[in-house]
Amino acid sequence: MLINALNGLVYGSLLFVLASGLVLIYGLRRVVNFSHGALYMLGAYAGYSVAVSFSFPLGVVAAGLALGAIGVLLDVVLFRQLSTRHPLVTVIATFGVLLVIEDLVRSVWGTQNYAIDPPALLSGVVEIGGAPFPVYRLFIVGASAAMAAALAAWLRYSRSGLFVRAASQDPSVAAMCGVRTALIGPMVVGLGAAFAGLSGILAAPFLSLNPAMGSEVLVLSFVVSVIGGLGSFSGAFISAMLLGQVQAFGTVHTPELASLLPFLLMSVVLIFRPQGIAGQKV
Amino acid sequence: MAMISTARPPVAGLSQRFSVLIVLVALAALLFGVERFGSRILVSLLAQAIIVSALAFGVGLLIRVSGLVSFGHAAPFGLGAYGTVYALSGAAPLPPEIGLPLVVMFVTLVFFLIGLVISRLEGVAFSMLTLALGQAAFVAATKFRSLTGGGDGVIIDMPRQLYGVHADVLQSPYGMFVVGVALLTLVYFALSIAECTQLGRLAVAIRENEERVRFLGYRTRVLKAGVFAVSASLAALGGVLFALYQGFVSPEILHWSFSGSALIMAILGGTSALWGPVAGAFAFFFLKDGLADVTTHWLAVLGITLILVTIAWPSGISGAVQFLLARVPALFAKGKGR
Amino acid sequence: MSALFRCVDIGKQYGGLVALQGISLSLEVGRVHGLIGPNGAGKSTFIDVVSGRTPGTGHVYLDDRDITRVPLSERRRMGVSRSFQRTSIFPALTIREQLDIAAHGAGGGHTGELTDMLGLADVLDARAEEVSYGQQRLVDLALALVGNPRVLLLDEPAAGLSVAESQTLAAHLEEVAARWKVAVLLVEHDMDVVFRVCHVLTVLASGRWLVAGPPDEVRSDPAVIGAYFGSAA
Repeated sequence: MLINALNGLVYGSLLFVLASGLVLIYGLRRVVNFSHGALYMLGAYAGYSVAVSFSFPLGVVAAGLALGAIGVLLDVVLFRQLSTRHPLVTVIATFGVLLVIEDLVRSVWGTQNYAIDPPALLSGVVEIGGAPFPVYRLFIVGASAAMAAALAAWLRYSRSGLFVRAASQDPSVAAMCGVRTALIGPMVVGLGAAFAGLSGILAAPFLSLNPAMGSEVLVLSFVVSVIGGLGSFSGAFISAMLLGQVQAFGTVHTPELASLLPFLLMSVVLIFRPQGIAGQKV
Repeated sequence: MAMISTARPPVAGLSQRFSVLIVLVALAALLFGVERFGSRILVSLLAQAIIVSALAFGVGLLIRVSGLVSFGHAAPFGLGAYGTVYALSGAAPLPPEIGLPLVVMFVTLVFFLIGLVISRLEGVAFSMLTLALGQAAFVAATKFRSLTGGGDGVIIDMPRQLYGVHADVLQSPYGMFVVGVALLTLVYFALSIAECTQLGRLAVAIRENEERVRFLGYRTRVLKAGVFAVSASLAALGGVLFALYQGFVSPEILHWSFSGSALIMAILGGTSALWGPVAGAFAFFFLKDGLADVTTHWLAVLGITLILVTIAWPSGISGAVQFLLARVPALFAKGKGR
Repeated sequence: MSALFRCVDIGKQYGGLVALQGISLSLEVGRVHGLIGPNGAGKSTFIDVVSGRTPGTGHVYLDDRDITRVPLSERRRMGVSRSFQRTSIFPALTIREQLDIAAHGAGGGHTGELTDMLGLADVLDARAEEVSYGQQRLVDLALALVGNPRVLLLDEPAAGLSVAESQTLAAHLEEVAARWKVAVLLVEHDMDVVFRVCHVLTVLASGRWLVAGPPDEVRSDPAVIGAYFGSAA
């Protein structure tokens, strides 16, 4: 029981880091990033290659930096243009990005599955409540918490974080007040993409790598964002934790329906509270 | 909101009826030409394209009339396909000739009911819910082996003939192409007429200002559900044709990526004309086939095409055609030295 | 004359902010009841609540039947109709088309007389987005008038109209009320229109009922004058 809850916490943490990236991008650019799952996958594969050639920590850094750079590129070339368009236009365009990234991954890494072991320092198990629990999974929770805290602190206490929050609320007014949306944009999207990539590489030793991992996680990340409310971090946190538990307990108790549960939950939320748990009334 | 292009339907008149004639003649010529000159590969491609274009048509219709984007239209498509399996099987109480239209009607009814529930949503929320719906259908088809054969799929018990047409014809590329063209042409004309009626104008009104329509005494929820149901029935028709042609149905057709492809086709073709999504479907198939011959990276090229279309020319193929056609009178006028 | 349309104890709260509290008024056949008050008094909110556009507290009665819970689309068929302060029409449809939709929704009604009266006969085949703002306001009003409603709730119909257009509008409203035997609630800022057309006035200030009575009494009531001019004390 406790182990299930802990597994749920692990899933939830990964989902939250991933979903935070979505929230960052949507909040600032009003782009519904349909390529977010592909970014996650790219981070996992790129990190994997570096980790296997050098070391796992380097792999994590590589994933973060590479995806950050890609995010900046995406913003400058595409998202900036999309930010004034209808949200569904952004979905279509980012769907195109998804296709490009999937092709890239398939070309470079092929279609087979890969597995990666956690670094020696983090392998092994601890005893929790009398049952063994992998250390690496605890690391995932810890790392995610650290990233979330750093993000929250940056947004709350730093000047650039303030600008991001302002621009996310109202881009035109923020621009009038002198916030350089032209600079903030690439930074935020880069960060959002980096979070996706980091979530991917962190998940790699836990969940392994396969060509479908992008689309699987994409749908989940949207479910998390929609349930939480499409621009809210706190909403994403609550719903990621909730979905993590649903996933963990679902696979154990109702394996047939486990994959349906997130959708069921999202449908219920959308029908009774379309703006999500913490979202604003659209 | 130029992407979600929803031009006013034209008023039916003499020139409309004339263009109907032109369309019919052109189609007949097309069918003849394909039969005489089309290579096997071409015809095979056309057959697949016409089937999927029914799905794209449905997705596009929803965008055009309601301004709503569905990511789950593979669900009615798949339901139509699996329904066909049932209607053709020994367990079905009615002969297939009656069963098949009933399948389409059943799917339409189901999605009308679903539409009643979800039509209170708009925009991204609506789209996400349709995504959920589609995935739920996919998972259900994969898990409930007893009903659907699970991930392995199920083979159709094809009768010797249907509606007087031999099964071999239905399952041949050219045969299916003709059947598909005939059915879709009928549907197209029916819908064009519908758009010119009071109902069509009501749909425009709902899209422009739903609140006022409610204050004018209409139950807009029912009307929106109706539009959703019609778009689902088009998808179901595609599903039926798919099942008949392939002789085999498996859960892949319910995956959201298939819904996504249909959406791409609708956008590529553009929704400012009723026929846009169908053109988009054909363009998609030919593009994909052509690209696959040229490069293994056809997926990436497709992705880039999609990005370019959304950024540079959001009204798609039909938008481009309409744009050009509108310029033609001006060209003639210039020629006359005005 | 018994009241056709009664609003009893209407209230509206947004979180902690009380927009309306305990407002009651009645509408009688053939009479125009004006609802006035300084900005922010809650006049539009009142119409929104009693027309069912936004939820609130209190009850609404038509012919002594409680219609508070009746859905929007049914109210029209019962004869309760409203217009909007911010023009709410259908830009891409022609005027003729939208009036036909309105007629059908109201369960019948001839639009010809109406369009003649409002001076829209010449532009019937123009799309609503093509005509002038003043004409669009009239279309908004026409949509509410189609089908001979019994109760008409008008939210600042003269908003954005020129002096001449407002006076013409006022004349139309007089005619509608008297000839068509409609009970009219008129929320309006334009005092020329108000005093020309209204048989009785209710004054709101800060969401509360201030005073009600015949226009002449109300206009000289010190509390009303104070609400409009002197609250800066």
